[in-house]
Amino acid sequence: MSAAVSPGMAEYFASNPDLRYILFGGKGGLGKTTLSAATAHWLARRGKRVCVFSTDPQASLSDIFERKIFGQGEVELASNLFAVEIDADRRIAEYQEEIRNKIKDMYKMETIPEEVEDYINSSAAEPAMAESATFDAMVELMTAGKFDYYVFDMMPHGHAIRFLGMADILDQWVEKIVTVRKKAGEYGEAATVMGNKGSLVQEDLVLKELEYIRGRLDFVSTMVRDRKHTAFFYVLVPELMPILDTRKALEMFREFNVTVSGVVVNQVYPKELKDQTDVPGFLKNKISSQQEYVHQIQNEFGGLIRGIVPMLDREPKGLQMISKVADILYGA
Amino acid sequence: MGKKEEPKEPKKQSEVSKAAKGFFYGMALHGMVTYALRLRMHMENLFMLITMGDMLGIPVLPPYYSLRLLPYAVPSLKTWKQTLLRDRDITDSLY
Repeated sequence: MSAAVSPGMAEYFASNPDLRYILFGGKGGLGKTTLSAATAHWLARRGKRVCVFSTDPQASLSDIFERKIFGQGEVELASNLFAVEIDADRRIAEYQEEIRNKIKDMYKMETIPEEVEDYINSSAAEPAMAESATFDAMVELMTAGKFDYYVFDMMPHGHAIRFLGMADILDQWVEKIVTVRKKAGEYGEAATVMGNKGSLVQEDLVLKELEYIRGRLDFVSTMVRDRKHTAFFYVLVPELMPILDTRKALEMFREFNVTVSGVVVNQVYPKELKDQTDVPGFLKNKISSQQEYVHQIQNEFGGLIRGIVPMLDREPKGLQMISKVADILYGA
Repeated sequence: MGKKEEPKEPKKQSEVSKAAKGFFYGMALHGMVTYALRLRMHMENLFMLITMGDMLGIPVLPPYYSLRLLPYAVPSLKTWKQTLLRDRDITDSLY
């Protein structure tokens, strides 16, 4: 049912054979998860080992695949098809415990000093904490390199942009921190050489941690800009707000030097319905208004449209329905 | 400073050389060492501020990453907070 669409999804994959990371962004509730799942399904069907990952805090891969995926690690759904849904809270709790143990180990402490404990606890309440934990899990999954393709169902766009912005800003910060740390080390060393004072035991360890943090951030900011290996699709529906949101997102991504590979128009009512006599006026109005917006989308994002997916008569749940969406999006 | 560096020398002599070393150190190097240590302290404070800043309400590095650095900062936390909040410590004690 795909209308006159400039190079569709399947063509895009065919002309970019080195793709590894497929990202789906867009406002909440427009079907990012469905399209991510469908893409993963299509790739798996073609014999590729695929992992679909949700970075959305309201992750719903579990609902779509009708399997318990949340917090279960890499769950195999079909041959070659795996899904991961991060339990950010649990990950944070484990991470905090790891830090506590490290402190106890390093200083042979029985209990953590109160102010340190307070700090560890309050850090979990930070909203950025869940994002960072998910971000970290995402990088971990990608660097492990167990799959041919990684399909990411990104968080709604505001978050996604922050996600990208964060990597850049942090990268610069870490750079500065490393400089300060190295300078401190030099002065300490001078003091040690001259007067046998100060110790440098932890210097290297701190720098190593900083390098680790930077490595993680660099990976993501390089990945999202690497058009050879990464494709970034934006999902919208023919309504005013999603169009405005997409326009804004494309502008913002441009600012971050991220090129959007295409947009997918989802949940489009079949326009043939309008000509049927038994269709109520309510629905006919909805279809007319959608068609106007479809035209607007074609005018505004024309060359970027990679697919138009109709509204289905049933919720796209379960492998069979996902497979059907994949057929629509990529051609059977 | 007072560490023995020539283990082969007899112990009697080491007292003399220790004193001489101390004297020389005090005359020539002490100032430089203190200066280097003070610079290091400032750098250390700056480092603490940009990594653990949110302990004082100045969020800089997202906590997920500052937590990774926390273990190394534990020994300097108290002195760092005292240095940065010295003024407030005095007023606090009035209440």
